[in-house]
Amino acid sequence: MRTVSGGRRALKWIGNTLLALMLVWTLVPFYWMIATSLKKDKEIYGFEATLVPRQPTLQNYVRLFDKTPFVKYLRNSTIVAVGNTLASLAFATLGAYALARLRFRGRGLIARGLVFTYLVPPALLFIPLFAVMSALRLVDTHHGLVLTYLSFTVPFCTWLLMGYFRSVPIELEEAALVDGCTRLGSLFRVILPMSLPALAVVAFFAFTQSWNEFLYANVFVNSVEVRTVTTGLTLFIVEDVFFWGPMMGASFLSALPPLLLYLVFQRWVVKGLTLGGVKG
Amino acid sequence: MARMTRRQMLKTATVAAAATTSPWWLVKTSHAQRAKKIVFWHVPNFTPLADELQKQQVYEFAKQAGVKEGEVEYATVANEQFNAKLAAAIEAGNPPDVTRLYESNVQFYASGGHLLDVHDLVEKMRREPKGIFESAMASVLVKGRAMGVPLAVNPWPVHARMDLLEQAKLEYPKTWDEFIETSKKIQSPPRLFAFGMCLGPVEDTTDNVMNLLWCYGGKMVEADNKTVVMASKENEAGVKVIEAMFKTHKIIPPGALSWDNSGNNKAYQSKQAAFVMNPSSIYAYLDGNDKDLQKVTGLMPVPAGPKGTVNQIDTWAYGAFKKTPYPELAKGLLDYFMTPANYDRIIQSTGGRWVPVYKRLFDSPFWRERPAFQHFIKMAETGVPVSYAGSPTPAAGEVLNTHVIPKMIQRVLVDNWEAAKALDECHKRIVEIYARNARG
Repeated sequence: MRTVSGGRRALKWIGNTLLALMLVWTLVPFYWMIATSLKKDKEIYGFEATLVPRQPTLQNYVRLFDKTPFVKYLRNSTIVAVGNTLASLAFATLGAYALARLRFRGRGLIARGLVFTYLVPPALLFIPLFAVMSALRLVDTHHGLVLTYLSFTVPFCTWLLMGYFRSVPIELEEAALVDGCTRLGSLFRVILPMSLPALAVVAFFAFTQSWNEFLYANVFVNSVEVRTVTTGLTLFIVEDVFFWGPMMGASFLSALPPLLLYLVFQRWVVKGLTLGGVKG
Repeated sequence: MARMTRRQMLKTATVAAAATTSPWWLVKTSHAQRAKKIVFWHVPNFTPLADELQKQQVYEFAKQAGVKEGEVEYATVANEQFNAKLAAAIEAGNPPDVTRLYESNVQFYASGGHLLDVHDLVEKMRREPKGIFESAMASVLVKGRAMGVPLAVNPWPVHARMDLLEQAKLEYPKTWDEFIETSKKIQSPPRLFAFGMCLGPVEDTTDNVMNLLWCYGGKMVEADNKTVVMASKENEAGVKVIEAMFKTHKIIPPGALSWDNSGNNKAYQSKQAAFVMNPSSIYAYLDGNDKDLQKVTGLMPVPAGPKGTVNQIDTWAYGAFKKTPYPELAKGLLDYFMTPANYDRIIQSTGGRWVPVYKRLFDSPFWRERPAFQHFIKMAETGVPVSYAGSPTPAAGEVLNTHVIPKMIQRVLVDNWEAAKALDECHKRIVEIYARNARG
């Protein structure tokens, strides 16, 4: 018994050490970002890299809010990410339900097609999509960006929800139908309340994907009025000079919304991911 | 598989045909549907004032031309995003009307038939009193016609710490031999290396290496833009000097091998290098961020080799795209930008980052009264592009962008190849690139 217990203790110790290392690995870039954003230019460019700012200053943040349209970038990212999340939830829910429950020709093909669509790299799609958006006069608009992002969030979200919906016992839905519920009624009254963790995962996925997206935002957006945070960050590089202080401040602030969202919905997200893994 | 009826077959065929042809149709119609009359892509400058002035001028012109404010699209595109964004816009048939193009981009897009001929505008600029720096024409002339409007000539001076030279009671070195001796005296590694020469797999390395090789009589290609001359005795002599500076005299920081284009900037701005060869972006940065260092910074000519001093310039230009539904407005905007009075306002607001193409603008106190700029006129007059002795052709652009020359110098410094062997390999690669581009 003593040996087993000792072995377990050793395993636990190794596990904790690994976790601690991973924690450091994850947090150090964040810390570095914050520390750099609080340094003056002379310290950033100094010979010695300082772990703790010698004379902490908020001047980079003041510059960020006073002299750059960073608040507009944040606003635009929020509009696009929230818009895309809501639209993804709506389309993916209806699509996943149809694929999971309804019987129609080509159902299997569509389901497989969803996965293949998701696997096509955005680098191959941005030029044709740009042509489509230009023709529809959707370039440089928030809704154009939301529509574009749906092309990669909806397939994945539908595929994920489809697996989850299939795991909900059909008998519950049949009972609702017998009691006079419509298809949509059973979706909203029976399936969705039981799938909240999966919806949380889908929402989180859609939000972070659209918040962090760069390529499409770069190509499809021209004006400050629509520019998102990810593309706004690159304006802190002028030719071969990097304005590290404001760039790190902006990076830190723009990393906060997905982080906060995850912290708030952490319980559901973890549950949704693990349940999906077993049932899907 | 179930059999299809004739009607189903027809439906499927129609959908398939529409799906496969729609991208082409959309590309064709996308530009025609444009609501804006002027689309200008702006690449940010160092000073917000210059950005603001440029924006003002776009709207001033629009007003004069009777274009409503809502019909103007003024977009700011970051440097880092520019090439991908422009390539996508051209592919989709929706490029801007006017934008700034860097060095070989004019040749590249003109050879693809994308740019409007602006020869008349450039001829008008040439007729201004004292004319323009003819060195700027190499990058915009395609088959004898100007396909871009030269906007600024950027010399690549040596940013030099004059205070360190003064402390050591030394003059700025006139030759590369003197440069090495001076460097050994003023440096104190690892805190301060003398020469922040870029040696990483990036464009600045090509610029820095070629600039030194020219002083030893070397070059990449002859003026015919066909005969590659990389594997020459002159280039070998120059490469050996770089090798000696790095390995024997140790005046270049070892980390320079992995620098990106900002590596030399950072080294100078952090006072870890006494000399760097770079456009005046460093000087312009110091203007806004470190006046003390700016005061002791000299913008000096490149030291001479056996064949004298050769200074690099690169030229920025404005280009107008043929796809514009309003070519007269596009050319009118360029004309407005380049009207000397308007142009001078922008130039001065960049704090020395842009060097004017009009010679007479150098007569203003802004350029005359700052000692740092005393060598700029000569550099602008006699400077050569990185593709010297050839022009900044698409092939030269490919050599720059694929880092063939940085690979050569790393063969010598990292893999310890003989200079001649590394140059042979580099020569073959450049021959391939020029041959492929000649075939089109």
